[in-house]
Amino acid sequence: MDKKNWEIVDPSRLTENEAYRPSLTYWQDAWRRLKKNIGAMIGLAGVVLMLLFGFLGPQFTDFSYSDQNLDYSNLPPRLSIYKLDEDLWVYLSNDYKLLRVTEKGKLIERIERPAELNPRAVIDKKYIFVYGDEEITVDFSYAKRYNDTGEGYRFTIIYRGTTHIEPDKKVGNRVYPFGTDKVGRDLLTRVMYGARISLIVAFIATLVSFFIGVIYGAVSGYEGGKIDNFMMRIVDIINSIPLILLVILLMVMFERGGLWTIIIALGAVYWVGMARLVRGQALSLKNQEFVLAAITLGVSKRKIISRHLIPNAMGPILVSMTMMIPSAVFTESFLSFIGLGVSAPMASWGTLANESLPALTTYPYQLFFPAGAIAITMLAFNFVGDGLRDALDPRLRKG
Amino acid sequence: MKNYFLRRILSALFTIFLIATITFFLMKSVPGGPLTRERALSPEIEAVMIERYNLDAPILEQYFDYMKGLVTFNLGPSFAKIGLSVEELIWKGMPNSFKIGALSVLLIIILGIPIGIISALKQNKPIDYFVMFMATLGVTIPSFVLATGIIYIFAGKLGWIPSFGLNSPLSYIGPVVALSGYSLSFVARLTRSSMLEVLRQDYIRTARANGLRELSVIGKHAIKNALIPVITYIGPMIAAILTGSFVIEKIFAIPGIGRYFVESVTNRDYTVLLGITVFYAAFYVIMVLLVDVAYALVDPRIKFNK
Repeated sequence: MDKKNWEIVDPSRLTENEAYRPSLTYWQDAWRRLKKNIGAMIGLAGVVLMLLFGFLGPQFTDFSYSDQNLDYSNLPPRLSIYKLDEDLWVYLSNDYKLLRVTEKGKLIERIERPAELNPRAVIDKKYIFVYGDEEITVDFSYAKRYNDTGEGYRFTIIYRGTTHIEPDKKVGNRVYPFGTDKVGRDLLTRVMYGARISLIVAFIATLVSFFIGVIYGAVSGYEGGKIDNFMMRIVDIINSIPLILLVILLMVMFERGGLWTIIIALGAVYWVGMARLVRGQALSLKNQEFVLAAITLGVSKRKIISRHLIPNAMGPILVSMTMMIPSAVFTESFLSFIGLGVSAPMASWGTLANESLPALTTYPYQLFFPAGAIAITMLAFNFVGDGLRDALDPRLRKG
Repeated sequence: MKNYFLRRILSALFTIFLIATITFFLMKSVPGGPLTRERALSPEIEAVMIERYNLDAPILEQYFDYMKGLVTFNLGPSFAKIGLSVEELIWKGMPNSFKIGALSVLLIIILGIPIGIISALKQNKPIDYFVMFMATLGVTIPSFVLATGIIYIFAGKLGWIPSFGLNSPLSYIGPVVALSGYSLSFVARLTRSSMLEVLRQDYIRTARANGLRELSVIGKHAIKNALIPVITYIGPMIAAILTGSFVIEKIFAIPGIGRYFVESVTNRDYTVLLGITVFYAAFYVIMVLLVDVAYALVDPRIKFNK
C-alpha cells in the first residue's frame, strides 16, 4: 500500500460529511406536513374565520340578535328601488310596505299609509301612502294576472301623475346586508350569533365527549379482561340505539330546551365512538415496552393511563375530534330544526333555517344564509380533519 | 355457528328490552304527564282519564302493564290524536316511510358505488374532480336544507315535481333525493378511496402482468375487495335511513312514522313518542342483527368461537 494515499486529517474536518437535520417531535412533524396540505390550510382558515365571524362579528354590527323593527320586516339583501323624484327613492316590500331609501340602498324611513285614505284598499287593490303633502299610490290590481300567468308586472307606483312600472335600480341593502327576518331582526347579526351558539355547542359537546370517552376507553382498554368486557357491552348497547333518537329523548326529558341541554345531550351520546377508539389504542399500546418499563418502575395505574397511554393515542383522538365537531354542528341544527333547539329569541343556524321555512318561496334568502354558513363550516372542518388524518398517519410519512 | 347466532339474537332481544325499559322510565320522569295541556282539563275529565289509563297506579305496575302491551304490540292510545292508538299510527305510517327509505337505499347502492368506482378509475381526471366536488358538497349540506332547496327550485320555481305528499310517482323524487344525498355522497367517496387503495395492491399488478383484460382485472379482482368497507358502512346505513327520515317526512308532508314522531315531540304526546322510539330502536337493532348475520354467512374471515 502506498503511503502517499493516506494522510492525517485535520480534526476540524471530521464533521464535514455528517448530515444534520433538526430533530422534530411527533407534533412538529405533523404540523410541518399539515402546512403543506393546501386543502387543510384553507379549511383551517375557514374555521378561524367562522370563529371570528361568530365571536367578534356581532361587535361590528349595529344591531343585537334580538332587536326587532317591524317596519323593516322581511327585507331582502338586495332591494329593487324606484326613483320617484330627484331625491325620493322608494322600495316596495313584498307585503306592500313602502320605504324611503337612498340611492345607495340605505333605509331612511317607512312611508305612512293613513287608514282613512284607504277604506276600500282591498277591494280597489290600491294603497295610498302619504309622503309630505304628496300622495303615492300603489296599484297592485295586476298581481293576480302576474301570479297566474307570470306575465307583466305585479304593481305600479303612481306619484305626481307619473306611473312607475320597472324598478330603476337594484342596490344592496346597506343597513341589513343579509336582510331581515319576519319581525325585522338583522339576519347578519343573527347568523353571526347563530355561529356562536352552534360552534359553542359543537366545541363543548365534543370536549365533554372527549373527556368521558377518553377516560372510559383508556380504563377499559388498559384493564382488559372482565372489566373491559363489561364496559364494552354497555358501549355496545348504547351504540345499538340510533344516536339521534337518544338525543331527542334526552332533550324531551330535560323539557326546557336550552344551550346546556343540547350540549349535555350531545356529549352524553357522542362519547361512545370516542371510547371505542381510545380502547383500541390502549389495547395496542399497553403491551409495548415503555408501558412495561413504567409498570416495572412502579408507576401507578392512573399515571400510566394519563401520562403514557392517552398522550400516545392523541393523534387518532384529535382526528376523531375534528370530525366530531362538524357532526355535532349537524346534529344541533337538525335538533333546532325540528324544534328542540335553543329557544327564541336566541338563534342557532338550525333555528334560523327552521324559521325560514314557512315563507321559503317568498324570502329564500332567509334559508340561504344560515344554510350556507352550515355548509362552509362543515366543509372547513372536513378539510382540516382529512388533512390532520393524513398528517398524523405514519404510513404516509416520507422524507 | 349456531351458538353465535343464538347469542346474537339473545343479546339483540336484551338490548330491545333494555331500551324499552330505559325509555319508559325516562318518559315517566319527564315533568308533566300526558294530561298536561295548555288549557287545564276539568278535574272530572282528568279523573276519568287517569282512571281509564291507570295513570295513578304504582310505577312498577304501569311498567309491567307497558311491557305486557309491548309483547302483544298494544302500545296504548295517542293523547294528541284522539281516537287513534299508537300501533295504528305505526301501521299507517310504516308503508310510506319504508317506501321512500327503500328507494333511497336502492338509489345509494346503484348510483353511489358505480360513481365511486368510475371516479377511482379516472383518478385526477376532470370527471373525478367533478364527482369529488359533488360528493364533498353532498356531505356538507344538511338533509333539511337539501330538502327545502329541492322544494324551492324544483317544486316552486320550475314546478316539475309536487312539493308534498306521495300521490304520484314524481312526488317520490324530492324526498328520495333529499334522504339519500348525504349517504350517496359518502358511499361514493368511500368506494373511491377503497378502490384506489385496492388498485395499488400487488395482486392487481400481478393480474395485469398476467395479461388479464382490464375488464376482468377491475370487475373480478378489484371490485370484490374494494367493496368490503363499503358494505360494512351500508349495513347500519340501511337501518339508519329506514328509521331516520323524520325531517324529510315533515318537510315534504309525508304521512309516515317519522312525521308522527316529530309531531309527538312537539305535542309532547308521550305514548306515541315512547312507542315510536321503541319501535325505531327495535327495528334498528334487528336490522343490524340481520346484516351482521349476513356477513357472518358471506365473509369467511369472521370467527364464531370468539
